[in-house]
Amino acid sequence: MIAQMHLKGLMFDPYNNAYIVILRDEDRSDILPIWVGKSEAGSISLALENVAPPRPMTHDFMKSILDAYDAKIISVVITDLSENTYFAKIHMMYEDSEYTVDSRPSDAIALALRCNAPIFASETVIRKQNSEELEQWLENLKPEDFGKLDS
Amino acid sequence: MSDASSSLNHDLIEFKVDRVVDETATDTRIVVLTRAGSPTDTFPIWVGAAEGSAIKLAMDTMVTPRPMSHDLIKSFIEHLGVVLRRVVITDVKSSTYYATVYLESKGVERTVDARPSDAISLALRVHCPIYITQDVLTRRSSSNLDAWLAKMESKNLGTQEVQET
Repeated sequence: MIAQMHLKGLMFDPYNNAYIVILRDEDRSDILPIWVGKSEAGSISLALENVAPPRPMTHDFMKSILDAYDAKIISVVITDLSENTYFAKIHMMYEDSEYTVDSRPSDAIALALRCNAPIFASETVIRKQNSEELEQWLENLKPEDFGKLDS
Repeated sequence: MSDASSSLNHDLIEFKVDRVVDETATDTRIVVLTRAGSPTDTFPIWVGAAEGSAIKLAMDTMVTPRPMSHDLIKSFIEHLGVVLRRVVITDVKSSTYYATVYLESKGVERTVDARPSDAISLALRVHCPIYITQDVLTRRSSSNLDAWLAKMESKNLGTQEVQET
């Protein structure tokens, strides 16, 4: 089983000097936090804000290649979680055939947002992800940590 | 874009990626290209830290546990049955370089615009040649100096107090 996820936000994690992509399922009952690097977060943020940069960023370039051959991204799926690392698959349609390509979730999400493709998470991942971890992390957050996305 | 574009020299000169240099004071890297067959003729390009490390990973032919962004692009073009023929650094404006990648499928060539860092990262992964147009090479002598000065200036402005030297 897989559940469709919506991107609820992007947060800065000052403790790990990384960013967290927050995905939430449609029933708003499950939250899936995914830690990503700075440049990946930047790419996701540009797609969220619908900003067209002066030069194509990596995921814009990726999409241009797919567009040049009329290949469509059908969906992306966060498939597995092992040792705190998430794995994803991108489903692509090209000339009546479907292809599945391995990816990091950050690339999959950055591309899905640009192609308006749905993002799914497998139930295994949602079950495996220890939501307590996020809650604990959120509790430790100080109010001043919230402003840091601006910088 | 410009009226002069038709008279520009679009001859292609092949370059190789020689090294990626850390600019420790700033969050940037310098990708040093050297002219094929003439290793003393260098061509530096400033890129972001993430772009620099993507190029370094490809140079070291490092296999990462998960595919990085350009490995993903490589997977896509393999699935599409597309071959990357060459990447070309085609233009420079205000010290910013522009590149084009040339793709071929079923005898048809298509071009896609890219930043040089993405083009180089992908070229190294699929072992395709990297070219710079003669026009860009001609113009770099002056624009390069400007770039240097601009970078040095911004570097000194930001980090004067913490620099050792």
